[in-house]
This record gives sequence, structure tokens and C-alpha cells, in this order.
Amino acid sequence: MKQIQKLAAAVGVALLGCMSQSIAAEKVTYYCSAQEDWCQLMASGFEEATGIKVNMTRKSSGETFAQIKAEADNPKGDVWWGGTGDPHLQAAEEGLTEAYESPMRGELHDWSISQSESADNKTIGIYSGALGYGYNEEILKANNLPEPACWEDLLKPEYKGHVQMANPNSSGTAYTTLATIVQLFGEDEGFEFMKGLHKNINQYTKSGSAPIKAAARGENTIGIVFMHDAVKQAASGFPIKVVAPCEGTGYEIGSMSLIKDGRNLENAKKFYDWALTADVQSRSLEVKAFQVMSNKSAESSPQAPDLASIKLIDYDFKKYGSSAERKRLLKKWDDEVSTLPR
Amino acid sequence: MSAPVSDVLATRRGSRVVILWLFIGLLGYFVLPWYMLEDGFFSFEWLFDGYPFDSDYAPGAFLVYQGEKIWLTPLILPLLLPLVVLGRKTDRRFFSTVLIVAGVSGFFYLFAQGFAIGIRGFNAEWMTALFGELGDRQFGFGYGAVLLACTFLFYLTTGIAARGYINGDVFVVGAIGFIISIVAIFIFFPIAQMLSSALHDNDGAYSLSVFVEKFSENKIWGLACLTENRGCGVAWNSLFLAVIVGATTTLLGLVFALVATRSGFRYGNWLRALTVLPIITPPFVIGLAIILLFGLSGTVTQWVAGALDLQPSRWVYGLPGIMIAQMLSFTPIAFLVLIGVVEGVSPSMEEASQTLRASRWYTFKTVTFPLIRPGLANAFLLGFIESMADFGNPLVLGGNYDVLSTEIFFAIVGAQNDQGRAAVLAIVLLLFTLTAFYAQRRWLGKKSYITKTGKGDGGSHSLMPKRIMYPCYAIASIWVVFTVTVYGMIIYGGFVETWGLNHTLTLKHYITTFAIGFNEFGIHFKGTAWDSFFTTLKIAATAAPLTAIVGLITAYLLVRQQFRGKDWFEFGTMLSFAIPGTVVGVSYILAFNVPPLELTGTGIILIISFVFRNMPVGVRAGIASMSQLDKSLDEASLTLGANTWRTFRKVILPLMRPAILAALVFSFVRAMTAISAVIFLVSAEYNMATSYIIGRVENNDYGIAIAYSTTLIFVMLAAILLFQLLVGRNQTSRPFQTRTNVG
Amino acid sequence: MTLDNMTQGEIKTRAASVEFKSVTKRYGTEVTAVDDVSLHVEAGELVTLLGPSGCGKTTTLRMIAGLEMATEGKILIGGSDVTQLPATDRDVSMVFQSYALFPHMTVLENVCYGLRASGKKKKQSVELAEHGLDLVGLAGYGSRLPSELSGGQQQRVAVARALVLEPQVLLFDEPLSNLDAKLRRQVREDIRDIQQRLSLTVVYVTHDQEEALAVSDRIIVMKNAMIAQVGSPRELYEQPASEFVADFIGEANIVEAQISAVHEGLATVHVGDVTLNLDSRGLAAGSAKLAVRPNRIFIEPHHPGSADALVGSVLKATYVGDRIEYKVATDLGALFCTSEATDRQVVEGSEVAVRFDDVGPVLLPHSA
Repeated sequence: MKQIQKLAAAVGVALLGCMSQSIAAEKVTYYCSAQEDWCQLMASGFEEATGIKVNMTRKSSGETFAQIKAEADNPKGDVWWGGTGDPHLQAAEEGLTEAYESPMRGELHDWSISQSESADNKTIGIYSGALGYGYNEEILKANNLPEPACWEDLLKPEYKGHVQMANPNSSGTAYTTLATIVQLFGEDEGFEFMKGLHKNINQYTKSGSAPIKAAARGENTIGIVFMHDAVKQAASGFPIKVVAPCEGTGYEIGSMSLIKDGRNLENAKKFYDWALTADVQSRSLEVKAFQVMSNKSAESSPQAPDLASIKLIDYDFKKYGSSAERKRLLKKWDDEVSTLPR
Repeated sequence: MSAPVSDVLATRRGSRVVILWLFIGLLGYFVLPWYMLEDGFFSFEWLFDGYPFDSDYAPGAFLVYQGEKIWLTPLILPLLLPLVVLGRKTDRRFFSTVLIVAGVSGFFYLFAQGFAIGIRGFNAEWMTALFGELGDRQFGFGYGAVLLACTFLFYLTTGIAARGYINGDVFVVGAIGFIISIVAIFIFFPIAQMLSSALHDNDGAYSLSVFVEKFSENKIWGLACLTENRGCGVAWNSLFLAVIVGATTTLLGLVFALVATRSGFRYGNWLRALTVLPIITPPFVIGLAIILLFGLSGTVTQWVAGALDLQPSRWVYGLPGIMIAQMLSFTPIAFLVLIGVVEGVSPSMEEASQTLRASRWYTFKTVTFPLIRPGLANAFLLGFIESMADFGNPLVLGGNYDVLSTEIFFAIVGAQNDQGRAAVLAIVLLLFTLTAFYAQRRWLGKKSYITKTGKGDGGSHSLMPKRIMYPCYAIASIWVVFTVTVYGMIIYGGFVETWGLNHTLTLKHYITTFAIGFNEFGIHFKGTAWDSFFTTLKIAATAAPLTAIVGLITAYLLVRQQFRGKDWFEFGTMLSFAIPGTVVGVSYILAFNVPPLELTGTGIILIISFVFRNMPVGVRAGIASMSQLDKSLDEASLTLGANTWRTFRKVILPLMRPAILAALVFSFVRAMTAISAVIFLVSAEYNMATSYIIGRVENNDYGIAIAYSTTLIFVMLAAILLFQLLVGRNQTSRPFQTRTNVG
Repeated sequence: MTLDNMTQGEIKTRAASVEFKSVTKRYGTEVTAVDDVSLHVEAGELVTLLGPSGCGKTTTLRMIAGLEMATEGKILIGGSDVTQLPATDRDVSMVFQSYALFPHMTVLENVCYGLRASGKKKKQSVELAEHGLDLVGLAGYGSRLPSELSGGQQQRVAVARALVLEPQVLLFDEPLSNLDAKLRRQVREDIRDIQQRLSLTVVYVTHDQEEALAVSDRIIVMKNAMIAQVGSPRELYEQPASEFVADFIGEANIVEAQISAVHEGLATVHVGDVTLNLDSRGLAAGSAKLAVRPNRIFIEPHHPGSADALVGSVLKATYVGDRIEYKVATDLGALFCTSEATDRQVVEGSEVAVRFDDVGPVLLPHSA
């Protein structure tokens, strides 16, 4: 008995020993709001390229924003990569992030630079994706439903209980949807649209891409999401068809920011520059990230939605990214839409 | 004048303790780095990097010497003050007064300066107005400051002991002081901080009206569901769910308890093992399995729809889904409570009833059932609290049925990002759980009908009457089949390519998560999950013994010591049971992100949150097993000249191995599976398994999430066995029973 | 355990006296467990605290040990004030009712425990502990666990564990209550032996009067948190100070009596038709109470006109082996008496003459 105990203790000690790895001197703390495998790829890629140890946390852009804000008095992170642009803009507006002009700017698309300029260079676009929706072809067929092609189609009564979108209170994607609809139809009509849509919605999910994932698994029919998220499900083999609404649509610019007063600013800048190179951005295809990357020479996938062929609205990031407008729209949506009976 | 023997002894013993703490305090002030190290508590880079002069790593004394942080200077006075009484024959009163003064003033000043001067100089504007800009700043407490704080605390308790409090027992007074301090710092302080944040608007200005407005919001208290076709307020949703879950889990728990003990059912142990499974299952897994079974495209839904020619629906999302998942998860808790109660009913009571010519049914109705009624109420309240606090299941299965715990989460992380609202919601949730907790303690605390006498009641439990037995069998069978199916799905789910689409068997998910490779440096953990896996093991393995220690010391104080305010002490230590994880998460972020207690982003905050969340269980296990120990064992030790500390170490601890095992296993398992508080507290360096799994679930990678969870289940099983080996079996064969001396 | 294999060893005695000065123990505000008790135990003396359940005897014992703290009054051991001193610091050992052997330690470890706790080196502790075990006749049992010993052996381990500390005072809390009747007599003699051999100061708690009479130098009888009487076994038995003591120590018939005259400490006492001359115990003429032990009452066949006898009839006769117990109805009430003449049983219902022994009946002082 005693010996077994000793053995067990030895095993325990050995396990603990294995676990505690030594800490490298150079490091950078990296908050990532993109999909997990992409985040991992960036982290390990940077470690390989520079030897700087990367401490990564993956959280949604809302969560990350909340964390950065909570930590504002004593920042723990250095660089925030990925996630829809709004919270990045909001962070810039609240002075949580640091201005920086990367030497890589010359290689970037215009939309990336303009995103940066609208926030006094406190953020920069790394990828962009257009809003749209996707549907599960099998379920659509099983329910004898017509194929939708426009935003307006989603208001048809036969889709009642078949449409899913995220709750704009909790998801940046859904807020982008709300802002897009308001910009597309004007505020009053836009809200009428949202009210009509509300009747067909079966669930407001918490996370932005959940509706299309549910559709992919057959738990839902139509999901309003970013098109690249829908493409990803299709590429994974799910029976998902991607729709670019005929009226035109808004888009997001996935962004990157340096956290103000971060403890490893120099390394964070290295990461920042590195993340904007064409080689690094091309690797997004390895993880089925179908967004359009910001470096002009980055490769894009044939499966990726071609931004050129989609009718994009002139999305006003400055206005709809501001806290005040966001709060106003959300409150209005809360008061006028979400409380309606279905 | 010669002091009485007792005074001499008391001051001598006190002096020894004071010398120890003086030494530790000197170490803290003169040797160890004063501030929190940026690289974490367990790095030792500082030793080679400019120590002791670099102001990031310098001890307090060096900082002062170099003219920095001069406000640390006065700390030397209370630290050295006890030298006045050491090594001298002094009056006991004087001795204690000096220590109390040193302890209180030191402790108070240490925290006062910590709160007053923060990362941006003075924290309060009136101080800037009074003293001008400070032009300097300070970070959180490090080793040095923490040790000094301990020194002051134990000066104080030693001083109080010297006053003759609790027979002048230095160990007991110290332990009480220590527990009170940590409970105050890690339970009450964060909650208070959260309450105060609810009273401030977004710009940080104090505002009662904002609180009232947020508190009385329609989204929380709305009753629209009664009249219209839309949802009620989240508070009502949570309450309704919790009541249903509390009632159903209690009923199911009772059924299992009866089947296990009163049916002549021979495989009772298997039933027990099966009911323990949900406890070691990571969150979400059950939710996912339920989606795979009952979702729109779920196996069962499709089959039923096909068989009955119905349109499959999303019925499971919302109340039904959460309810099923919670029933599956929390029935074991009710079972564990009720099996004790059912077994505790003395067979002789029932035999007495039967010899009085009562039928089995009549006996059950009039004797057995009334005796277990308090146990039922207890199980109900536990289920109620667990359901209220549950976060994982509503997150996955909630649909449009919003409950408080998830609402709190999204108030913080959502696009709204309203900490004040989160705090208000947390207060509402806390009100519910505390009310239930209070009801449980006041109403049921003393009312126990456990009739075991410890006298070895002869006789065995009578069987259930048939009209109860058959329904019980039926319900238990359904549940067993259901549980087995769910777990079958879980294991299977880890081995198929893509659920619902491609059911080819594959090891892909396990390889992605747990691949091991070899490179020139030896083993290389390639899998994506290793990092969070090792962190989780490390954190859980550290938290478990700490939880057990804190829990058992508390139990010891509660069972074996008498002191004023014991009721409040008990209430405070058990309180964290009623504080839902999301509330803990929110309040910890609010309280521990800024100096002096700057813990966010460290592994320590995770460990601390686990220790205090699980402490009540340690306390309960300790109380239960300690009250089985004959008190004369302690007393024998004392009369043999051992002090309380030695008695605790040599007599009580070794005899409490089963309780220690229970506390260790429980806190380890909880730390591995906790999510609600964790999700707020994980950081880049310390990512936990559960938060990794959430990420995969969000990303539609059910395969990986399930593969990882299955692995965790087996790891926990292995850990339970390992603990059992480490703690060993109780070496005594004789059961110790409580005897009371009356004379 | 026999005296033969007892080696005096290195166990010495440092016996000291115990003194209570007006000690009171209250729990909360309601319950008074010990009420203003003063007592004195000489060094080297075995004193028993005797009384019914709840009389405060165990509390008194625990206050000597330091397991309970006096609410008021002073406690002195060996002349120094230990009132405020906790158990750990008192030079007092105790043998518990349940023995309180540490079940996870071997016998030797149990006996060593106190020695190690008081800072003795391991080697020396083991030596002393072995002597101690030897003293109680358990040499060679050191490596066993308590659960592997019989009740009597466990009891002796508990005694050894307490003895090796050479305490100033050794306390016993109902040490025999968990033993069967046969063993009790043996163990109680052993305890008395060791006590006398080592001239220990022993305070002993029991509710069994026979046990108390057998082992004690002096007995303190307690009742309702107060001391009822203190004295040697013989004094208590023969000269009880109250009805309570008379009845509690052995059994007694309490009968109403009249004192007609007192002369030079000798009282003429009338009990019914019987007249006795007894020690007046400070009583004056008038009514009084008389205590008579059952074996001091004789019954004999009734002859009309028997002088100095009461007339009674046998209500019940019970044969209990070495004697017969009778319940006799008289004008004074039912009397309980025993007769060792087991061969001549008086049948129930017969008329008898009831006589009192010349010595034995004792007047009870007017008690508080």
C-alpha cells in the first residue's frame, strides 16, 4: 500500500514537472477574436517566424472589447487581432488602443486604410467580408419553401419560424445587420423591415455566426450572417447555399489594434507588421477563412465571395461604429422590435 | 510582582508565534519583491534581473531607501513594534495591547495605502486636491506585501489570544482571523464592489436613479408571457425554470434513492456510479448530446416525426431543452442528498410501525415519508440554486428563453457592454439564490429527523410497497436508458467525421486535440488542446488541496470550537455556495483588476475563485466527518500536553481522510468542469479546458469539443482513483462513534 | 496485569494537591453546571466525585483538566493558580470514558504521544512508553492498533498513556463504564494498586457507588451542581449527612422518628413502638428522620407482644442468590430489608416482627 502511494506521488510530481515550462524572455500577449484555428495559426506562425512567445486568448470581439475595457487601468494584452471592426473602432474612440502607422500600409487595399484613418490610425483592416445569408437546401426542400434571393424575401410569411439571426445586443454581426438595413432602407423603413423579420425569426442567437452553424447542422433553415461564414460551412460539406441579397448589403472590416499601454509594445508592433504581409494573409485559406484579405497581393480562394460582384452599400463605419449611435439603435431595436409578439 | 503561571505561559507562547511572524514580515519587507511581478507569481526571473534595486522587483525597504514609494516607510513601525515586548517579562495585558495596536495599525495602513495610491497616482480626487499630483504610481501587492499583511494579521490574532479569547489559544484565534480575512477579501469585498458598481452610471458617477431604472427594467420583471405570445422577464424565466428543475430533480432523486435502498435491487452500486457521471461531465456536452438527439435534425425528433408523420420542430430549444439538460445534470445531487436521508431513517421505526399492524403502504405514508420530508425540501433547494446558477446548458439550449445567468454574461460581453446592468442582474440572481439559501438554513438547518443513533440498529430496511415500487422502477429505467444513450452519443460523437452529415468513424478529432510528436528536444505536444489541458490540470490540482485545507480548518472551527459570532462565521463561509459563478466572475473582474489586489490575468485568480466557490463543500464534508469523531480524542490529546495545532495535525487530520478525499475529489472535479466564473477569468496564459471547449462549440467543431470532453471525463475518473491511492484508506477498523459524557 | 510484572521503572510521581475555591461554571445564562464549589484534594490521595447524571461531577473533573474554564472562582494545582490555564499547559492527564485512544496510531505511538508533544526525544519517549506499557502489563503489545485490543486492554493503554507523563494529577472519567461486570472489579483494583504504589493524586468520576466505595480514600458526593457531602467511604456510608446521600450510597430506608430526649450526645429515638439510643448528631428533641440500611433491619416470625419491634406483613420476597430481599408493609410505610438467611425464606403475606439493629440506624441531620 505504502509503495503504491509513493509511486502515485512520484507520478503526480513528474506530471506537474512536465507541465511547468520555462518562460521565454521575449513575449507578446495576443487577443484574438477570429475563429480558433485561425488564431492558433497566427500565434504559432508568429512564434516560428520571430521566436517571440505568444500568449493567446481567443474570445469573441465583444468579450475581448469588454476585457480590454475592464483592464484599461492596467492593460494585460498587447495586440488585438481579428473580429468585426466596430468594437475596434469603439475601443479607438474610448482611447483604449494606440495609434500606429505600419510600414506595410503601402501594400493594403484602400478600404483597409480608410478604416484606419477613420479611427486616427488606432486600428487597421485585415480582412473584409460582406453580410448576407445562407440557407440549408435540404431543409428548404423538405418544407417546400421557395429559394430566397433578397432581403425582402425574408419577410414572406412562409418563412415563419425558419429564419435565425443573432441578437444585436450581443453580437457584432447582428449589429452590422441592423446598421446595414437602416442604411439600406432608411431608419423608419429599416425598422419596419426588422419588425417584419421579427415575425419570422425562430431565435435570436447570442453569437453572430451561430445561425448559419445551426443551419448547417440542420437545426435551422436560414441564417443571417457574414457570407464568408456561410461559405465556410458550405466548404465543410454542409448543404448550405450562400446568398448575396439583391438589394445590396453592408460589410465588416475585420480589424487589428494595438492595446494602449501594453507591456510589450515593441513586440506587438512586430506582430502588427507581420500580420499585414501577403504571405501571412494568404495562409488564411489553410483554415478555411474565406474573407477578402487586406494585402493586395494576398491569395484569395475561388470559393470566397467576390466583393466586386456584390452590391455593397457605402457603409458609414464612423457613424454606425460610434457608441452613441450604437446605443441609440440598440435601444430602439430593444424597445420597438424585440418586445413584439411573434 | 510575579505574574501568574498562566500569564507567563501565554506570553511565552505568544512570543514564539510573534517571533515567527516578525521574521516572515521582515522577509516580506526587506527581502522579497514588494509589488506583483508582471510575469506572474511563479516566475523567478526577477532574481537575475536587477534585483534588489530595480524598482519593479525591489523589496519595500529598498524602494524606500532609494527614495521611491516613500509612503511605504511608516510600515516599519508596526512591523517592529512587538520588539518592545519580546524577550521580556511583561504583563499580559500590555503584551496583548502592543500586539493588537501593531496588527491593526499595520494592516489598516497597508491596505489604506494600497487603495489610496493606484496605477495612476492617487485614486481619490480629494487626495490629489489635498496633496497635489503624486507623480508616481504603484502596482498590485506582490510577495512582500502579502507576507507583511499576514504578519500584521497574525500579530493581531496573537494579541487577541493573549487577551484570553478562546482560552488564549493562539492557533484557534489565528485560524479564525485567517478565515475571516480571506472570506472578507475574496467573497464579501468583490460582492460589495459589484453592488457599488450597480450604483454607478457608465461614467462612474454615483447614481441611485440609474440603479432603480435598471433594476426595475421590463426585461427583468416583465410579465408579458402571461397575457401575450412573448417572453417574460428574465427573472421570472429563471425562477420558473429553477422551481421546475428543483421539483423534478427532487422527485427523480427520491425515486433513485428508493430504488437503490428499498427495492432489493441488486445493482444499486451501478446505479450510484451512473448518477455520478453527470457530475464529472464538462458543461455543454450534455447540451450538445441533447441537440443531437432532440434538435430539429436530431435522431429522436426525426424518427418520431417520420413515424407519426409530423413536421419536425425546434421544440427542444428553450425551456424544455434546458429543463432536460438540467434534470440530467442535477438529479445526482438530489440523489446523493436523499440516499443519505432515506438510509438514515432507522429501520426500527418502520419495524415498529409494522409490528403495530400497519401495512407497508401505511407505514410508508405515515412513518417513512414524513421522516424524509426535510430531506426533500433540502434537495429541492439545492436543485433550485444549481438551476439558477447554471450557465452552460442555457447557453447551448436556451433558444429564446433567456435566463439571468446567461443574460449577465451577455450584458458584459455583448455589444451593449454594460457592466452596471450585469451587476444589477447579478444582484437579482443573488437575491433569489440567497433567499433559497437562507430558507434552507433557517427553515431546515435544525430540523433533521435523521434517526440513526449510532447504536447499531438491528434490522434492515423494509421494501417499498408495490404500488410505489413499480412506478419507481419504470422512471429509473427510463432515466438509465436515457443517460446511457446520452453518454453513448457523447463517446460516439467524438469518433465520427461530422455529426449529422458524415458518420464515418475517424480518430481525427483526438489527433487534432491531443497529438504528440517527437522532435529534437524530445516529446512535443502538438495537439491544440494540450496547452489548456495542462493549465487546467495544474490549476485544478493546486486548487483542490487548498480547498480541502480551508474547508477542513473551517469545519474544525465550527464543530470543535466555541466562540462569539460563530453563527455569522458559519453563514459567511457557506455563503459562496449561493453565489452563482457568473456573479463571481463579474465581481472578481470588478474587484481584482486594480491594485492593491491585482489578480486578473493570472492563474491565481482562477485558483482563488475555485477555492472559494468550492469551500462550502469542503466545509460540509469536514463537518460531517468531524462530528463522527469522538470529541474526547481531541481532549485526550490536549490533556496529554499537545496544543491545538498539534492536535489538529496529528489526531484530527489523519482521522478525516475520507472527508479530505471527498473534498479533494470534489474540488478537483469542479475546477475541471467549471465554466461560469472561469469564462470571465481566463487569460492568454491561463486558458482553461472548458473555455477552450466553448470556443470549439461556437465554431461548430462538435467533434473536437466532444473528443476533448470525453478525454476530460476519463482524466477525472483517473484522478479520482489517484487521489484515493494518495490519501489511502483509513487505517483503523473500528468505527468511532460519538459519545456524549453526561455527568 | 499483575503486580509481579510491574517494574517501578522510571515512572516517578510528582503528585500535587488540587483545590477549588468557590468555583462556578455556567453555560450561557441559564444552566449552572457547577455552583460555588470548594474542595480540596491532598497530594497522593484518590478522591472520587460521585453523583447521579447531571450533578456536575464530570464538569468538575473537566475543569481540573482545563477542558472547561471556570466562570467564577479559582482553581489551584500544587498551590499555583491555574484557573486561566488551558488543558495543554496543565500538568494533568486524563483517562477518558471512551479511552479516546487514537485509532490511527499503534499502542506505542499512543503512549508516546504526550511525551513527544512535551518535547521529549524520540528514543527517550519510546523507552518511557515501553516502561509504561510494562507497568500496565501490556509489554509487547506496542505495535498493535487499538482496535486489535480487548476493552480491558484498551483501558490499560489509556492508563499507561496518561501515567508516562508523570502528571501532577491523574483524572479518570468513568473508566469502568465500558467494561463488563467481571472485568470491572479487576481493573478497579489495578487502578487502586498503581495509585497507591506511585502515590498519585487521582480524581475519579463515577456514578457507581460501589465502585466509589471500593477505590476511594475520600468521596465527594455531588447533587444539583453542589457538593452534598465529603468523607471517607465509611463515613459516607455510616454517617450520611442527608437523605440524598443516605439513599445514594447504598440503599436506605428513611423513616419518620421522634426524639424524646438528648443526653450527652445520645438521643432517645422512638420509631413507632421501637425505641433506640443513637448518636444525636447535633439534633434536639422533636421529630427527625432516621436512615436504616436494609441489612440492618431484621424480620422474624411474629409473636404477639414482642417488644421493640414493629408489626408488619411481607408484601414481597425475592430470592437473588446470596440473599433474599423483602418488602414489608408496616405502619411507617413499606420497608425494604435483606436477609442472608436464604435457607429460611419467609413466605409472602405472613405477619412478621420488624427489628432494627443496634448499630446501623442513623439520624439524619436537618439538611438544607
